[in-house]
Amino acid sequence: MISFNKTTFHYSKDSGIYEIDLKINSNEFCFLLGPTGSGKSTLMKLLYFDLFPTNGEVEIFGHSSKKINQKNVYKVRRDLGIIFQDYKLIKQRSVFDNIALPLRIRGESRAVIKDLVDEAIELTELKGLENKFPLQLSGGEQQRVCIARAIVKSPKLILADEPTGNLDPASGYRILKILEQIHAEGTAVIMATHNYKLISEKDYRIIELKKGRIVSS
Amino acid sequence: MIDKLAFLFSEGLKTLMRNRLANILCLITIFINFSVLGTFFIIGFNTDSYINIFRTKYTFEVFFVQDIDQKSIDIVTNTLEQSSMVQKIELVDKDDAAEIFNEEFGENIESLLGYNPLPISLRVDLSRTNFDLDQVETLVNNLQKEISVDEINYRGSYIKDIEDRINLVLFGFLLLVIGILFISIQMISNTISLSINTRSKFIDILKYNGATPLFIKTPFYIESFVLSVFGSFLAFMVVSLVFDFINSYLMLSIRIDNNLWIWMISFSIIVGFYASSKSLNKFLN
Repeated sequence: MISFNKTTFHYSKDSGIYEIDLKINSNEFCFLLGPTGSGKSTLMKLLYFDLFPTNGEVEIFGHSSKKINQKNVYKVRRDLGIIFQDYKLIKQRSVFDNIALPLRIRGESRAVIKDLVDEAIELTELKGLENKFPLQLSGGEQQRVCIARAIVKSPKLILADEPTGNLDPASGYRILKILEQIHAEGTAVIMATHNYKLISEKDYRIIELKKGRIVSS
Repeated sequence: MIDKLAFLFSEGLKTLMRNRLANILCLITIFINFSVLGTFFIIGFNTDSYINIFRTKYTFEVFFVQDIDQKSIDIVTNTLEQSSMVQKIELVDKDDAAEIFNEEFGENIESLLGYNPLPISLRVDLSRTNFDLDQVETLVNNLQKEISVDEINYRGSYIKDIEDRINLVLFGFLLLVIGILFISIQMISNTISLSINTRSKFIDILKYNGATPLFIKTPFYIESFVLSVFGSFLAFMVVSLVFDFINSYLMLSIRIDNNLWIWMISFSIIVGFYASSKSLNKFLN
C-alpha cells in the first residue's frame, strides 16, 4: 500500500530524510518514533504529497510521487485522514461544521453529512460539544475533533502527526485508545510520536528514526 | 450538488465580509477605473458618430471644360446617377456661376472681364446611408478621366486627414484603456492575494481534506465576481448620470450606447476572473 524507495528529501544540508526504504501494509498500525528533528513529520508530509522527494520515490495507493500531477494530489488526500499536532481546526466554525468539512468537500447531502458526523462524534466521545467552537474546547477535545474530521470520510489510512504532543498523559492515552479503535474497524494508522513511554506497552510495529535515517523497523 | 454550491457560495460571501477594508478599496478602484473606461467608450462612440455625420455632409463639385455640349454633361450626370452614394445632382450653369461669384466677391464678372469665363459645373450631394469614402474616391477618379471634366473640387483628402487625426486620438484612448485594465487587474489580483493570505490556513485545511483546486478557488471567484459586478455597475450609473447632466446643462446630444452597461459589467467580470486566476494559480502552485 505504501512504499518509500530510496527516498531522500532535504530542507538544507543537515536537515531532512535520507535514502529511506520502507513498506507499510494496509490495515497495519505502526508508530514512527524519534526525537524532534528526526524526520517523522517530513516522512508524513511526503505521504500526503505536501512535499515531494528530492531523490527516490514515494508510492501510496498506487500513486507515485514521480508521476502524480499537482492537480491530482487531492485524489490521494481523499483516501487519507490527517491528524495534526496543532489540530488545524477552523476557529470560526462549530465542532459539527469542522467535522463535516471533508464531506462537504466531497459533495455529500445534508442528511448523509448529519448521519456520518453523528457517528464520528460518538466514536470520538464528543457528544454534547457539537455546537461549541474550537477555542471553547480543551486541547484533548480539540484533538478529538481533529480525529473525528479525519475518520468521518472513512479513509483507507490515518496519518497522525504527533497527535498527543500537546496533551497531558491522560488525554494522550485517550487519543491512542480512539486510534486503536479506528484501526480495529479496519483502517490503517501511522502515528508519529517522540513519546516512547506512551507506546512502549503496545504491540505494534515501531519504525525508529534518527537524524533522518531509519534505525530500526 | 446543491448543498455543495450553497456551501461554496456562502464561503464566497464570508470571504467578502472578512476582508471588508480590502474589498471596499478594490470596489473603489474598479469603480474609478471603469468610470474612466465608460467615459472613453462614450467619447469613442460619439466620435465615430460625428465622423459619420461629417462624412455625410460632404459634397463635391465637377467643373466642365469650356464649350461643353449637353451630351457630355448628360454622360457625366448618368455616371453619377448610377452610384448609390449620390443623393442629389445640381447643375450650375454659367449664369448661376456668375451669380455665385457676384454673391461671394460683390463683382459682376461679365462687366469686369467683358465675358463669362466661369465653367458649367455639377454640385453632387452624397447619401448619408450609403456613404463609403473609398467608393467616393473611386468615383471621383473615374470622373477625372472624362475628357469633358476639367477639374473636380474634392475635399475627401481633408476628411481623411481629419479622420487620421481622430484615429490617432482614439489610439491614445486605447492605450489609456489598456493601462486602466492593467491597473484593474493588479488591484483585483492584490485584493484576492490579500484574501488568500488571510485565509491561507483555511485553504491548507481544505487542501489536506481532499478539496480539488476548483473547490478552493470558487469562493475567491465569487468574491471577485461580486466586486466586479458592483464596481462596474456603480461606474455605469455614475457615468450615465454625468453625461445626462452634461447633455442637459450644455445642451449637447452626446449619445450613450444602449448596451454600455452590458459591455462594462461583462468586461469587468472577465477582468476580475483573470485577475483572481492569476493570484490563485500563483498561490496554489
